[in-house]
Amino acid sequence: MTVHVENNQEIGCFIIVATVVAQLDIILVEAKNLSLAAKNARVVAIRAGEAALGFKSITNFIDEFSTKTIQTTQEINQHSNLLFKLALEQLRASQFEHHINRANELNDKNYIEIKRIKNESTQIFRESLTRFNSEMQALTLQFEEIRQQMRAAEYIAVTSRVEASQAGEYCDSLESVSDYIASAALRIKSAISINLSTLSQLKRIKVSG
Amino acid sequence: MKSSVIYEGKHHKWVVFGRDESKPEKIIDTNQYLICTDTESMLLDPGGIELFSPMLTGILGYTDLNKLTTLFASHQDPDIISSLGLWDKTIPKAKLYAPWLWEGFIRHFGMENIEFMAVKDEGGEIKLGSNNFRLIPAHYLHSSGNFNVYDPEAKILMSGDLGASLEKGDVPMFVEDFGEHVAHMEYFHRRWMPSNRAKMNWIARVKELEIKMMAPQHGRIFKDEAVQEFLAWFEKLDVGCA
Repeated sequence: MTVHVENNQEIGCFIIVATVVAQLDIILVEAKNLSLAAKNARVVAIRAGEAALGFKSITNFIDEFSTKTIQTTQEINQHSNLLFKLALEQLRASQFEHHINRANELNDKNYIEIKRIKNESTQIFRESLTRFNSEMQALTLQFEEIRQQMRAAEYIAVTSRVEASQAGEYCDSLESVSDYIASAALRIKSAISINLSTLSQLKRIKVSG
Repeated sequence: MKSSVIYEGKHHKWVVFGRDESKPEKIIDTNQYLICTDTESMLLDPGGIELFSPMLTGILGYTDLNKLTTLFASHQDPDIISSLGLWDKTIPKAKLYAPWLWEGFIRHFGMENIEFMAVKDEGGEIKLGSNNFRLIPAHYLHSSGNFNVYDPEAKILMSGDLGASLEKGDVPMFVEDFGEHVAHMEYFHRRWMPSNRAKMNWIARVKELEIKMMAPQHGRIFKDEAVQEFLAWFEKLDVGCA
């Protein structure tokens, strides 16, 4: 997803945060469904008894990483207010710098105070930028963590399919669980890719900005 | 941005800023007033965000920024106070006096540092250096929470939108011929002032004040007999019906 931010970089930051937050919902819904699928699969595996012993232990892993994904996503979601606040802070700092620069152009009497505020405004803008970038860096790491969990999920989906094939009459229903894990992991990975790509645009804005 | 001293007394002076030639064409022209005492200064209706830069350079000709301790907003409109977010970063230790009614609205302009001083409906006072300024209620004229500032020493009433006129071009600072000036005020007052009852209430209140100058936020300033002419004209004007 390309966010068009050429005309106003600070508004671009808002759009980027909003895009990232919108993707969080997709990740959260998929992770919750994954957790539910793991719980259902465990019931089926218990019913299947000896034949699905291997699958039963796999459901614990699925539940574990889906719970972790839910937790990380919820943490990011709670964090989104701060991200918007920082984007707003940056927008205001940028506006302040812009208006002070204009005052400096009008400063034909060379008031020292205008020069002082100009330096302060640049400092305020830099500080707000540093805070925003630091939060976005942390966010990138959190998404990388979820992506790792989804790689594990894909691996487990393959292993579980092998285990499901040995579950006799429960083979079909357990195989469908394996398919679901694989497809959910793919959807989550896709949402993560969108977010990481969106966040990388932010880096480009700041480098060129 | 043009500026001129409209009063200079023993303890303080009044400066008006306006007729900004650099402002975008479709933005309404506004008057900003600065009161300077030896120790402190106050900016009345600081203006919109577009005026911040010329205002900042303009006021430095009259006061140090560390003396600019007080802002006053007669009401919540953007042409009055949308520059607040920028003043908030420029003079973070300042206080803003404004109608209590509008605090939650005015904060949308961005106010993290400046202290909000809520003015009660019945009005109040602002002390600046050795001077006291009275806050005169002017509710519903036009805003539902609205104040004028009265200076008992200079006998100036900063009347906000009351007495405002809409004239194009580089118009003089003072009303010269009241009869001719009416054409520039009539529609504004009929349209923007919604209540005859509020109008009569305000007229009764300001008639108790000795006013040598009535300084609106738009257009020309009224001096001496033009003040009384305005009050007489306004009393007869049917408002809220344009």
